[in-house]
Amino acid sequence: MKLVLEGSQAVAEAVRLAKVKVISAYPITPQTHIVEFLSDYCANGKLNAKYIHVESEHSALATLIGAASAGVRTFTATSSQGLALMHELLHWTAGARLPVVMAEVNRALGAPWNVWNDQIDSLAQRDTGWIQLYCEDSQEALDTTIQSFYLAEAVNLPVMIVLDAFFISHTYEPVDLPEQDDVNRFLPSYIPKFKMDTKNPCSFNQMSPPAVFMEMRYNMQLAMEHLLQSFPEMEDNFYNIFGRRYGAVEPVMCDDAEIILVTSGAVTSTCRHVIKRLREQGEKVGLMKIKMFRPFPEEEIRRVLAKTSKVAVIDRNFSFGVSGIFAQEVRAALCGMPDAPVVFGYIAGLGGRDITPGTIEEIYKRTKRDQKPLVNSQWMELREVDYAIECC
Amino acid sequence: MMIMFKLPGKRLMKWSFMNKNKNQNKIKNIRPPVYIARSRQTTESNQTGTWRVMAPEYEEKTAPCSAACPAGEDIALIQMLTARGLFKKAWEKILMENPFPAVCGRVCYHPCETFCNRKQFDKSAGINLIERFLADMADKNGYQPGFEKPEPKQEKIAIIGAGPSGLAAAWFLARLGYQPVIFEERSEPGGILRWGIPAYRLPADVLEKEINRIKAAGVEICCNHSVSGSSLSDLKKEYNAVFIGCGYGQSRQLNIIGEHFAKDGLKILSELKDGSIKRMQGRALIIGGGNTAIDTARSVLRLGADPLIIYRRRKKDMPAFFEEVNAAIEEGVEFLELYGPAKIESKIENSIEKNNQGFQITLQKMKIINSESENESRARVEPDIGKIKIITASTIIKAIGADPAQVWYNPFAEQKDILELRNVVINFDESDLPVIFGGDLAVKTKSVVDAVASGKHAAMALDIFFNQGRKRIIEKMNACSVGQGASFSFETYLNKEHRPHRMSIVAYEQINTDYFIKTQKKIGPKLPPEQASSNFSEIALNISEEIALHEAARCFNCGICNQCDNCFIFCPEAAIRHDQSEMGRYINYDYCKGCGLCVEECPGNAMSLIKEEED
Repeated sequence: MKLVLEGSQAVAEAVRLAKVKVISAYPITPQTHIVEFLSDYCANGKLNAKYIHVESEHSALATLIGAASAGVRTFTATSSQGLALMHELLHWTAGARLPVVMAEVNRALGAPWNVWNDQIDSLAQRDTGWIQLYCEDSQEALDTTIQSFYLAEAVNLPVMIVLDAFFISHTYEPVDLPEQDDVNRFLPSYIPKFKMDTKNPCSFNQMSPPAVFMEMRYNMQLAMEHLLQSFPEMEDNFYNIFGRRYGAVEPVMCDDAEIILVTSGAVTSTCRHVIKRLREQGEKVGLMKIKMFRPFPEEEIRRVLAKTSKVAVIDRNFSFGVSGIFAQEVRAALCGMPDAPVVFGYIAGLGGRDITPGTIEEIYKRTKRDQKPLVNSQWMELREVDYAIECC
Repeated sequence: MMIMFKLPGKRLMKWSFMNKNKNQNKIKNIRPPVYIARSRQTTESNQTGTWRVMAPEYEEKTAPCSAACPAGEDIALIQMLTARGLFKKAWEKILMENPFPAVCGRVCYHPCETFCNRKQFDKSAGINLIERFLADMADKNGYQPGFEKPEPKQEKIAIIGAGPSGLAAAWFLARLGYQPVIFEERSEPGGILRWGIPAYRLPADVLEKEINRIKAAGVEICCNHSVSGSSLSDLKKEYNAVFIGCGYGQSRQLNIIGEHFAKDGLKILSELKDGSIKRMQGRALIIGGGNTAIDTARSVLRLGADPLIIYRRRKKDMPAFFEEVNAAIEEGVEFLELYGPAKIESKIENSIEKNNQGFQITLQKMKIINSESENESRARVEPDIGKIKIITASTIIKAIGADPAQVWYNPFAEQKDILELRNVVINFDESDLPVIFGGDLAVKTKSVVDAVASGKHAAMALDIFFNQGRKRIIEKMNACSVGQGASFSFETYLNKEHRPHRMSIVAYEQINTDYFIKTQKKIGPKLPPEQASSNFSEIALNISEEIALHEAARCFNCGICNQCDNCFIFCPEAAIRHDQSEMGRYINYDYCKGCGLCVEECPGNAMSLIKEEED
């Protein structure tokens, strides 16, 4: 059924269709709408779940750790400072192998206060053991949310669905809302592999000495690798029922491209229009969208980028002292590959600034113009700061 | 699911055994088992109790309402039992400390609600209303108190006056196994309850039932039997003790010219009860600001007169209970503040023409002499010389207070051997025979519930006197003190095993208000003022079960365990164990590490965290 929905509601609808049993969250802009919809569903009986109010994001995730340990499907949503506050429990959720699913609405981290879109909040949590899936639009956010429960439960790792603040969370788009029966076929009831059970009492995650700890960590990596390998199979199943497929990485007109732009999240949509126009002008340009950030689909990225000579990575984030984080990851993936393309890094759109078609065209022009990058990252469209007036 | 620990090996080897014979591609798609830390070993060997420096304990405390109740009723428990629908048990808990639930449920000035901790949260819990409700339930369902029968005692006790203190003393003495005899000068027992409180506040049949219960407990009441100063000596010969609860029956004088034209308020109230006054017309002036003045004004209003209360201070300085003053205002009783009577004259010759305005009263204007800065509860006044007001009226009534009717009602009249206790004064004569003065003769606040407390304290003091001697009275009674309040618990006196309430009183700050939601205070239904003021029907109507349960549930249950099990839920060591005791649970100190979570999460402060003594 086609409906015009706000991105936040698209996610909430997916959570409802997934028949989640426990939801706990603390409101934070721009995530609040998601849990507002869900609390409505819980209150009016559309969703038979326990909605637990808490006093912080830290407690929200702690609550879900408890609920997931008891063997039920769980969901939370957060953003920015809220995600940062969850940090220690993000590690714990993954280490405890609990299939918690979270919608993470990408927002800049303070100081200074800023509620708008960039990716630093989720990327700062890349080493916590969570699967991270970046979405381009509301439909993808909805589909990915349903898929996330499947993935999380398959490998016992938590999943973060990442969507751009406002560009997705607060934008109304036509969305194909799946039927409950179809979702049931794709996502059967959750049967936990382990749970707290008074009939089979045991304690979990007790003190574990060096002799076993490394194997447990290695086991998490095996799960990540398995996820990467079984992702296409999951997408096949989803495609067979719903007719939609996204790919861990999506190449667009890359086969003969001399320059490939690399994006993640909502800016991908803008980029699709720009490369279409450039192609019409005879430019040999392609686009590679990275959906899956953890686990990182290195092999697929290498395959897509193998034949091109230049890669321009657009980062809506920055790792201070180095470069944009996606650029860094792409460079690492290509490292050691014979005839590897040159990677240009571009920083744009931090703290909610627009990345316009003009910005992307400029990135393309510069990449075409230069033989190789002069700096690790080029900061796009920086405003001139009057140091005498604006600085301390 | 869990695979056993092996030494670190090569990638894939741990789970490839599951799929030995398949090709490499297939192996890749086999889901690896989940390796997590999981233990089936008991952790009971880890006695976390050894870490403890602070120890929680179940320590029930006194609720501020109980401490404020002159009768020392166990209010927090009464409210809890009511909230659970255990109405008979709750009613028995009242009766344990007070033989007049139906009377006090109507006329008590309920200091309990003034000191209610919930007042600081939203509004005080309805307590007086629950007492009324439980009394109604008892009446409706014919509850009989299931108290244990006491062993009969030998000593004989005479009680003079069948007012609230005398009746209470008799009831508690009977509960202790004595056979008290009450001598009452009037034709019916009840004293002020029967003759002084108008029917719209306390219907006669309600009082009758309470008195019948007292009689049924083994109390003999001899009416029409007055005791004089000389017959008191005869009583002393025949009885082992005498209780004097004769009240303040003698109205005070105005000491002005024409005083004899003024009728006595108490007398009017009494005549109303015995039926000798049926109607009253024209302007009625009532001089005074106490409860008798208000009761008289509201009564004459119902008789058809047009009452005006004249008080020499301000309305807010009146010693009458605030709620009674407000009710009078609502019913249309008029007030004239800051005027005192100076002279009353008869104008009887002109009265026929002038609508029976038979009297003329000259009023002296009063002025307040304490300055604003002086923080006195009551204004001090003196005549504002030269300013007067003249009013005519059909009836003039004085109600400016009362005194003991006989000189020998005063416990301090002669220098004697005196023992003063809370709300009672004991005189010992030469042969060490105790004469106990109670009720208005000995209490500070002249109210029904204080009189009840007085009777109870007298009964306890006498029992200690007869069994253990005079010297132990104070010590034994103090052991039954409710909080640091002015009341003693009869239940504690009867039963040393009675769940001990520590004397410390729960403060609002000790309540964990996270467990309570602000709710509206519900009040009992009342006749509308315009309907109420036309007759003597009871104003306060029966309380519905819904309202009673709502108010009972609002109670914080300060200081007592309400079986919420928060301690059990929150204990990180699972050290709270359930058992069959009255409390229903205990703390296993082998594992309690003294974190104090249980104490913090206890809503009503029924637990305490105590520093442990070092061995």
